[in-house]
Amino acid sequence: MLTLYRPGTGWLHRMPAGPKLLLILSVVLVVSLLPAHWSTAAIAALVAIVGYTVSGLGPGLRGIRELGHQMFSLRWIMVITLVSQLIFMGPEPAVANTARVTAAIVLAALLSLTTRVTALLDAIERGLRPLERLGLDAARCALLLTVTISTIPVLGRRAAEVRDAQRARGARNNPQTFVIPFLIVALKHADELGDALTARGVR
Amino acid sequence: MSAPAIRLKDVGVRLGEVDVLQNLSLDLQARTVAVIGENGSGKSTFARLLGGLINRTSGELSIMGIDPARRAAELRRRIAIVFSNPDAQIIMPTVAEDVAFSLRADRLPPAELTQRVGAAMERFGLTELAQRPSHDLSGGQKQLLALCGAMVRNPELVIADEPTAYLDARNARRVAEHLLEDAGHRLVLVTHDLALAARCEQVVLFAGGALVGLGEPEEIISQYEAVLAC
Ligand SMILES: Nc1ncnc2c1ncn2[C@@H]1O[C@H](COP(=O)(O)OP(=O)(O)O)[C@@H](O)[C@H]1O
Ligand SMILES: [Mg+2]
Repeated sequence: MLTLYRPGTGWLHRMPAGPKLLLILSVVLVVSLLPAHWSTAAIAALVAIVGYTVSGLGPGLRGIRELGHQMFSLRWIMVITLVSQLIFMGPEPAVANTARVTAAIVLAALLSLTTRVTALLDAIERGLRPLERLGLDAARCALLLTVTISTIPVLGRRAAEVRDAQRARGARNNPQTFVIPFLIVALKHADELGDALTARGVR
Repeated sequence: MSAPAIRLKDVGVRLGEVDVLQNLSLDLQARTVAVIGENGSGKSTFARLLGGLINRTSGELSIMGIDPARRAAELRRRIAIVFSNPDAQIIMPTVAEDVAFSLRADRLPPAELTQRVGAAMERFGLTELAQRPSHDLSGGQKQLLALCGAMVRNPELVIADEPTAYLDARNARRVAEHLLEDAGHRLVLVTHDLALAARCEQVVLFAGGALVGLGEPEEIISQYEAVLAC
């Protein structure tokens, strides 16, 4: 689900990271605010398809294939959203909400697909700089976001290791026995990461 | 290299309720220094002290003429620290971006940044992997990346705390060669690999938070082996 940058030369790739962030954010916002109607499902799907077709991800059907790829990685989120809402809210809101959420996520993914994290980090830092007069440290905030993003895959792998270790000792999948070891592992990672950041020149 | 690069006088470090290092006095003159000792003997604490990650509780400390407690920022610009676990040292999502991250604070012009990053990746054999997701690399490649990220800043002193602990023999050797190679840096290397310690010019031996040996590798390593044999 955590999409990575794909090198490319389309217009969205070439667009400066700051304006691109604002553009994609506003499209995502509009899609998320659509009402829970049948028509919303159609509009959300259309916006996602158009977004992936016109953003210059590559020749021919490259954009649509990428969209398929993204949707495939979201399949469980889609199923869970759809089923839980079908049970509690009925078909129309369930379909509209699922379409809306899925479209928002895949549209947001266009940002990470076409922008290097370094460029994003620079843009966020620049964008936050006016707030420095209010005492905000722009460089630190931008860095915090970056580190958060990059920590997710590491913690995901650590969680799998903890589960494996427990299974190896015959424990069933049990959230209660999972939480404490995972917390310890996560805190240890945070500790090490703090040292590494300091060592690499971050104040 | 006239005045000792690293000088400690009666240094003590207390963490919580524990005196982790006590009455530590030593001058380190050699370009490459190995630090050995059993688990819990205080090696990592010593490395973190030299790296300015923790402060002493008492005594005096000077690293290349700098007192870390007073001028920590300057010290960090001139040294690099390498840890055992590569996962915790890699920050950016691709290899090239992670190397460039170490130079972020310098605000270099883009052309110079690209050049420095390219040269460093070349040196560590990472050029082919430049655009690869850094968290998908093998353990050995990750540690080379961590080392590359440390070395790209041309540090005067490199402090490495068991940098080969998680690596297989081949990758451990590659990492060790890069650390020992004279690229204009001094090295303080914490290690359990006595063959590696023997390749340093000077060896420091810790036991129970105190310095128990300092001198030629051969002498200090046999002193340590004698203790281990008991
Ligand atoms: N933050 C801390 N608080 C209290 N005790 C600590 C702390 N860090 C390390 N120690 C203790 O200090 C001793 C030396 O630890 P360390 O320097 O990590 O040893 P080594 O790296 O040689 O294995 C150990 O007994 C350890 O338990
Ligand atoms: Mg240690």
